[in-house]
Amino acid sequence: MSHLQKITFSSDRLIEAQLLLLLQIKSSHGYELIQRLNDADFTIEEVDPATIYRHLRRMDKEELVKSHWETGPSGPGRRLYTVTKSGEELLSQWTINIKQQKEKLANFLKTYEQYHNS
Amino acid sequence: MANNNYYLKIMNAGALHRIIGNCIEVFMQKNLEVTLEMKGVGSREGAKRLLSGEKCDIIALADQALFAELLVPDLVEDYFVFATDQIVIAYDHFSRGSKEINSENWADILLQPEVIFARSDHNLDPCGYRTLMVWQLAEKLYNRPGLTHELDSACLHYSTYPKSLDLAGALLAGKVDYAFLYSSEAKQLGLPYITLPSKINLSNPAYADYYDQAAVSVESKIPGKNIIIHGKPIEFAVGISKTTQHDDLAKQFVDLLTGHEGHAILEECGMIPC
Repeated sequence: MSHLQKITFSSDRLIEAQLLLLLQIKSSHGYELIQRLNDADFTIEEVDPATIYRHLRRMDKEELVKSHWETGPSGPGRRLYTVTKSGEELLSQWTINIKQQKEKLANFLKTYEQYHNS
Repeated sequence: MANNNYYLKIMNAGALHRIIGNCIEVFMQKNLEVTLEMKGVGSREGAKRLLSGEKCDIIALADQALFAELLVPDLVEDYFVFATDQIVIAYDHFSRGSKEINSENWADILLQPEVIFARSDHNLDPCGYRTLMVWQLAEKLYNRPGLTHELDSACLHYSTYPKSLDLAGALLAGKVDYAFLYSSEAKQLGLPYITLPSKINLSNPAYADYYDQAAVSVESKIPGKNIIIHGKPIEFAVGISKTTQHDDLAKQFVDLLTGHEGHAILEECGMIPC
């Protein structure tokens, strides 16, 4: 439950929610996750591979995800990440937090537009 | 486990020299009667040496694609991607133009007649063919037709400093002003460096399709015949030789390199564990 109390809304921390969602949809290795994150168009800034790998290692240590080496019939072995039960719970909390943030941002835009249109 | 004077040989990319050295130190503290010897090579050169019959127990290379091209399935069964990096332009504070160079004007600074810059040998060292790919991608990104040719003509001949570690040494000795290296090498040597745009520095899997447009001809495993290799995000990989007599110990070492202790060592040395 300690994860549920520590959500703070920042673009760096938001990557955690984005990775958890993509891993809930499908287990992936880091290389593929970076490509999927880029394709998902969740962020304005470019996806930084070092940041993604750092988050994955931290989330692995915190047991939000688990990983194992996957070797295919061809190509290299890569560390495959899967979301855990704790990770899924944290993702639900993130979703609530993001909805609240969306409302606050909408309030900001509404106030801005009202002032500039008046 | 009674490891009476076991001896393991590791063939590693020159760029991994400090990382493998640090891993050996940790490994030997846990396995007192095991001796590990490391041999730094240009990765392409090293893979070819194995093809020619040279023996080793563990192979750690700067390009994971070399395993599929040269070593699997005859010499290595499985191999694992464990780190990534990017190509940068390293220099020192005495390098000509070092006060002006940045990630936008680097090509113009390098092309000034008094500036000396170098790259490693593309036939021996992945850093060499990756540098050629960076130039090709820069030509496209900056819309400067002919830039690759201009840089190639102005660059010191690749045989002068054939491996990226030779190149780093030349930079430290003041023999060149700029060198195309991995960022981890520049960080380990305390050298300042220019970070290139991620669309050309081969760091980001999101640009894999873009990198694929770059293509370099290198000597293949068949003497006298070349092959074309395409740009890919940089990935370092490790595998165990099928000829090893010490499979368990080799696996233990690979586990160390690819596990938490290896991650800490890779990060200390400026690489990105993955």
